[in-house]
Amino acid sequence: MMNNIENEIRTMVSIILEVPVEKLTPDVDFFKDLNVDSLKAIEIVAAFEKKYRIIVPEEDIPKIRNLGQLIEYTKNVTG
Amino acid sequence: MDWNQEKIKSVLPHREPFLFIDEILEIEGTQKIVAVKKIKDSEDYFKGHFPGNPIMPGVLIIEAMAQASVILFSLDRPHIAAKQPDYYLGKVKAEFLAPAYPGDQLIIESNKVKFLDSAAITDTVAKVNDRIVAKANLVFSIQQK
Repeated sequence: MMNNIENEIRTMVSIILEVPVEKLTPDVDFFKDLNVDSLKAIEIVAAFEKKYRIIVPEEDIPKIRNLGQLIEYTKNVTG
Repeated sequence: MDWNQEKIKSVLPHREPFLFIDEILEIEGTQKIVAVKKIKDSEDYFKGHFPGNPIMPGVLIIEAMAQASVILFSLDRPHIAAKQPDYYLGKVKAEFLAPAYPGDQLIIESNKVKFLDSAAITDTVAKVNDRIVAKANLVFSIQQK
């Protein structure tokens, strides 16, 4: 079962990618399965930075390929 | 080097009649730029937009905002801009609040939201005499050749 932070991230990504939340399973690949391009990726990063008041280093972005990794990343950087 | 027309043209690939930045008024590091587009009576698009009632098209105000944003990007990422990449406007969320007429000076402020090597987001505002004529959030991609 997802907690609040997981639900927040899932909803945020769902809105930006215009993908139903049901399709956003933790391991669905943003780039291969959801056709996320550089424009969508920067939108997710900018929304994420605004919400959690953090800066995501550019080199970290390619490492975040799915919702599960994004949730894990969030937990790490927000403590 | 001051931001004269020559330097503006060294960053922007646009040329007349599609170059919409005449001057740079202010630069705050890589966070903000303020640029000017002088709206001339002789602009070609006024022949049709609209006959006898010239108003600068909103899409061209967006274009001016995008060009100012490209210059801001070039300050943040000079190593990318030096390679003269292609800039593609991908997404625009805009509000148009007042008209801009021939003779007006469009003051365009572009603020960095997020810049990456391959994409960028800016928040922009265009004003005439301190009156906001348009606001826009721009998302654009940068494709290196």
